Amino acid sequence: MGDTGTEPRFLTTARDRQREMVEEYYAGLEGAGGPKKPVAYMLVGGNLTEIVRSFGYEVVFPEIVALNCAIKHVSLPNILHAESQGYGLDVCGYVKNDLGLQEMGGQTPFGRIPPPDLLVCSFSGCYVYVKWWEALAEKYGCPLFMLDVPYLRDATPQSEDIQYIVTQLHELIALLEKATGRAFDPAELRATLARSRRAEEGWVNYLASGRRRPSPIEAYFEAVFYMFPINVLRGTEVAADFYATVNAEVDERVRSGTYPVPEEKFRLVVEGVPPYPSYRTFWDFFRKWGAVSVAATYPKVGGLFDRGFLHDPARPFDSIAEYSLGAYVNQSWPLRRTLIEEYVRDFGADAVLIHGIKSCRSFTAGQGDLRDRLIHDLGIPTLYIESDHEDPRYFAPAQIKNRMDAFFESLDRRKGTTPLPMVGG
Amino acid sequence: MATRVPPEEDPGGSETAPSLELGETFEELTGAPSIEALAQLAREVICDPSYPTVRAWTRRGRGAVGCFPVYTPQELVHAMGLLPVSLHGGGESIEISHADAALGSFLCSISKSTLELGLTGRLAPFRAFVFPYICDVSRNLEGIFSRAVPGAATHMLHLPQNFRSAGTVPFLVAEYRRLIAKLESAGGERYRPERLADSIELFNRQRTEIARLAAVKNAEPGKLTLTESYLIRRLGGLVPREVHLRILERVHAELAVRPNRPKDAIRVLLVGPFCEQPTLDLIELVEQVGCYAVDDELLQIYRWYDRVDPNGDPLENLASAYARSTIDIGVRATPTTKGEAILRRVEASGAQGVIFLTAKFCEPALEDVVLYRRALDRQKIPYLHLEFEERSAAYEQSRLQLETFVESILFD
Repeated sequence: MGDTGTEPRFLTTARDRQREMVEEYYAGLEGAGGPKKPVAYMLVGGNLTEIVRSFGYEVVFPEIVALNCAIKHVSLPNILHAESQGYGLDVCGYVKNDLGLQEMGGQTPFGRIPPPDLLVCSFSGCYVYVKWWEALAEKYGCPLFMLDVPYLRDATPQSEDIQYIVTQLHELIALLEKATGRAFDPAELRATLARSRRAEEGWVNYLASGRRRPSPIEAYFEAVFYMFPINVLRGTEVAADFYATVNAEVDERVRSGTYPVPEEKFRLVVEGVPPYPSYRTFWDFFRKWGAVSVAATYPKVGGLFDRGFLHDPARPFDSIAEYSLGAYVNQSWPLRRTLIEEYVRDFGADAVLIHGIKSCRSFTAGQGDLRDRLIHDLGIPTLYIESDHEDPRYFAPAQIKNRMDAFFESLDRRKGTTPLPMVGG
Repeated sequence: MATRVPPEEDPGGSETAPSLELGETFEELTGAPSIEALAQLAREVICDPSYPTVRAWTRRGRGAVGCFPVYTPQELVHAMGLLPVSLHGGGESIEISHADAALGSFLCSISKSTLELGLTGRLAPFRAFVFPYICDVSRNLEGIFSRAVPGAATHMLHLPQNFRSAGTVPFLVAEYRRLIAKLESAGGERYRPERLADSIELFNRQRTEIARLAAVKNAEPGKLTLTESYLIRRLGGLVPREVHLRILERVHAELAVRPNRPKDAIRVLLVGPFCEQPTLDLIELVEQVGCYAVDDELLQIYRWYDRVDPNGDPLENLASAYARSTIDIGVRATPTTKGEAILRRVEASGAQGVIFLTAKFCEPALEDVVLYRRALDRQKIPYLHLEFEERSAAYEQSRLQLETFVESILFD
């Protein structure tokens, strides 16, 4: 329990279902591998899970494994092992967690992670993806398919970018056909994409409810739990059904007046990856002030579905390409700035909190510029704090709490009286 | 002769060193009486954050384009009547006062010092900037620059990482056409294929001459110091390429008669500084302690490919040359494995050991080092890993490590 005196409120049925889905997924992985069910490793941003699963692969997302390790407080031994192998302090914590874990046999508290038969690198918005997958390819000697996703510089994707990705998708399919001996089934892909779209629409509806006052959802801390199906199980029936359960419970929250915090005092837009090793502690720093995130960028790393990048069974390849292009960190810095500004406006936010992390330059490089833009050009109170999403050594609770307390105190005065000077960070 | 004038108003507010003034024909450089004199002048040019060569070039209204490392098709920039200038940050010359706040804590020096140059007005002579997608920091920097330096055009160039796809070259041609449109809007001349063919020929010659320089350094490493070789190459990204060719001609003429002064030194391959550049002091230190750097990753743009075919469609040929390159550095997906790559390079260079010289926070380099080291360990090839930052000042620790490394090989 944190110093708010209350436990965080979750959607009861949805949270229980989410737990079951996670357990079922990892249990499924333990049975995977070998000649029966080949294993493909994939990255979350711009992933091609629908195509790869249609060839019978079990899919592992090492980023998800890493965040699960961190939130269960077992990431540090993996990181330290990777450092003992030569990976320096300045290397991404996800990479070090995964490579350390792989070197130690892949056993986690939630199951054993099987080694890959195929590595599919969706190079969509993170250059470290390339390095990470090269290291895995060198360790396991298995094929590596590089999906090169051009950086999205215009709000509407350019036709040559889509064409480039579509060409590569067909090349991946040829590789999968050769590796599995199975023929590609376009009808199966369309059916899978229809299920993906159903999940995506449900997820978008869930996220949109943050516009209500008070917000019936916590769009950062709580939403992270409901990301698992959209990122890991997309294309399955269970993922599509899951968001109906979630949204029914959100509606019930509105009817019963049961909100994420007893009294919503501050509505925040949150930018950045959460500090998973100190997740509850960080969340407590918000809740004690009645602060609720009504919109956040991090839950969009798997796809910016709320901005229209939805899979479309009628245009399977083009829509997969558009989806890969539209991943949040594959959006240009000006597009990211604009998105956050629009979230502040559309969700009626009082302030922005930016959480920069040491590990991830893709997310973090330039967040100071964002803060400057929000504070000085737009007059939006903004706080910038730093720690890490994976490595507990970089979370300084007292320092972060002091800064957040000062920020919320200032916001409180600003809301109650005449505007006071902005608190930056 | 080069002159030095005090700045009218110091944009950074802290440095007071006079700016170097060069003539529009760069005779100070082409007419340098010796390699030593040229290297000294090149050192002054490089250490002057006011970009004296660019000021000389733009004096009559001509445009310059800043190209962030590691690779931009500079032939294309040249073909549009603009001077392509290789940006390598602020080096030791500037204090970081503003860029930290915009970028955050855990980022490399070159990103901060380049932004600092922009924020303090020192990049005013440039019309446009190109940031290739070599890493996430370079990529984001483009968007930050667009706000921080509002008077200039910026372009993020997506360099492909899939080199096996049938779609790669057509995509890269389209990508280059976007760059052309941006450069035309920034005052470049209208794109004409025949001009690009000419520029390709010019850059082919420059690469050939630089490859000759590298060959001399490898075969007769006592003839030319690493610092001299580096400074001469570095000038090539700062002056018109026609001028650089004249400089290289003179350098080669002098090298033909310059005595080789062999010393009891070990041959090393220098890996890691493909983007951010070590300080000149650190570059000097490598050879001072008893190494010959017989191959290095400094200024990789000259080594991306040997020759581009100027015939046919020059834009497609340029894209094809990029995609078909066999270069293997941290910012390009490896065509083989990192282990194979490093062993092949050690063998090709005749190196006895490897020095990893990686920039602090440079994740592409840091991750490769682990894979390189494993391969070297298997073959019992000695190596040393040092990290650097642009404004490193104390090298006692590095000197000690380098000396120990050299001694361990010499007395093995």
